[in-house]
Amino acid sequence: MSKAVQGFGVGLRTEHYSDFVASPQRVDWLEIISENYLVDGGKPLHFLDRIRRDYPMVMHGVSLSIGSTDPLDSDYLRQLKALVERVEPAWVSDHLCWTGTDSLNLHDLLPLPYSEATLRHLTPRVAQVQDLLGCPFLLENVSSYVSYRADEMSEWEFIGELVARTGCQLLLDVNNIYVSSVNHGFDPRVFIDAVPAAAVRQIHLAGHEDHGDYIIDTHDHPICDAVWDLYAYSVRRFGAVPTMIERDDHIPSLGELIAELDAVRLVAERVLAEQRQAA
Amino acid sequence: MSATGELQRRFQRAVLTEDFAPGLFVAEGREIAGGLGLYLMAYRARLLSALRDNFPVLHRALGDEAFAELARDYIDAHPSRFRSIRWFGDELTAFLDAVPERLPHPALADVARMDWAIRGAFDAAGAPPLTLADLAALAPEQWPQRRFALLPSLRLVDLNWAVEPIWRALNEDAEAETEAPEPLAHVLLVWRPELECLWRSAEPVEVAALRTLAKGARFAECCTALPRPASPIRRQQPPDCCSAG
Repeated sequence: MSKAVQGFGVGLRTEHYSDFVASPQRVDWLEIISENYLVDGGKPLHFLDRIRRDYPMVMHGVSLSIGSTDPLDSDYLRQLKALVERVEPAWVSDHLCWTGTDSLNLHDLLPLPYSEATLRHLTPRVAQVQDLLGCPFLLENVSSYVSYRADEMSEWEFIGELVARTGCQLLLDVNNIYVSSVNHGFDPRVFIDAVPAAAVRQIHLAGHEDHGDYIIDTHDHPICDAVWDLYAYSVRRFGAVPTMIERDDHIPSLGELIAELDAVRLVAERVLAEQRQAA
Repeated sequence: MSATGELQRRFQRAVLTEDFAPGLFVAEGREIAGGLGLYLMAYRARLLSALRDNFPVLHRALGDEAFAELARDYIDAHPSRFRSIRWFGDELTAFLDAVPERLPHPALADVARMDWAIRGAFDAAGAPPLTLADLAALAPEQWPQRRFALLPSLRLVDLNWAVEPIWRALNEDAEAETEAPEPLAHVLLVWRPELECLWRSAEPVEVAALRTLAKGARFAECCTALPRPASPIRRQQPPDCCSAG
């Protein structure tokens, strides 16, 4: 089954497997973390296959390390391709980041320097992944806590240039934009205004922790007011882009998560209705 | 090396060794104290969490503080080379064997072995086990030449202590009171017939049979390779299996 992905989704988490198997849920599509299913068998693949029958899916990876100066990991790409053939996702995404070098993995989404050298490094690597996967490939903006002296442009200029050179599409994490805007002191609306709208294929919403000096992208809280506002701003710019809540820790009940997703639907419907009236 | 490569190597070294990387970041004073510090902290917290997931009963046996201390030493000695964090901790039992003083009791290394074996069986490849009916359908003359494949999830784990009661008690109840186990060299079987992992200790003759089958031997070769039992084998019910869930 390969249905189109549209509307509102959530990230599939083990805590909710039994809910999805037991009865239909008010969720239009699901995103899976690719790495959780790069295994040989057992419960992960059993529930993946079972739930995939009822929901369209997209795949979201955390360890492609597209920006690392190590070569792309061919074993990982081969496994990812096999999972694409099993799941038939509408698209595959990973992060615009690096996760380690010299064959090590720090298991974190580390920011890249926004420079011409990085763009030249990324362009053939993105093409390699696009060729291999055979389905649309999206890159997600990460939240960051440092800025490099090597930066030559803003993050949004960098992303725009990467899209122009590679044709990759974008998974826009509105929470990450907000987190980085606070940590680095920019207006998040400038970021959203500058991103190439035609490339935005998916939106992530999430919560974060406020530590005073820094906001940390923990994905373990409900969506905060500032991110709700920024989401409404994003819908005005990008229209009805498939949107989901990404919760990675302190996983609430599925009912609670769906209630939050209903609120996301309402925001999007309200903005789109306002736009129709204004037109 | 490219400038980007050098930047990544220095950033990574800073995270791994907590040796800050001057010259990389804008607004260094603040970022060394804050921004880079967040990456350092997150790195250790994430790997500690992965070890807790992979060694849940060892974690309960040691408690938060002692487990975190052990994890810190392991993380420093064995940075991850895995794409998926699920595999992090593959060398922990060897790490414990190399320096047994890291643990308050040597039997805890066997608890770690049991944790890791069960974790491995959990998402190993699936295969339907043969049933009694399948075996009964084999004609007697087919048996000697027949080879049997073991379930991909099956693990034969060499243990030095009778840790199973402790493992079971702590798996069911993190606060369970347990007694120090007795020394007992034996083999633990861990396997997953369908979705749930099972385990039980095995008799030496059974271990010998399974290890012979694992090498691809025919059933006849397996029979002749078995040690002669000291007393006649009694017919008995299979031992109880324990769920690892």
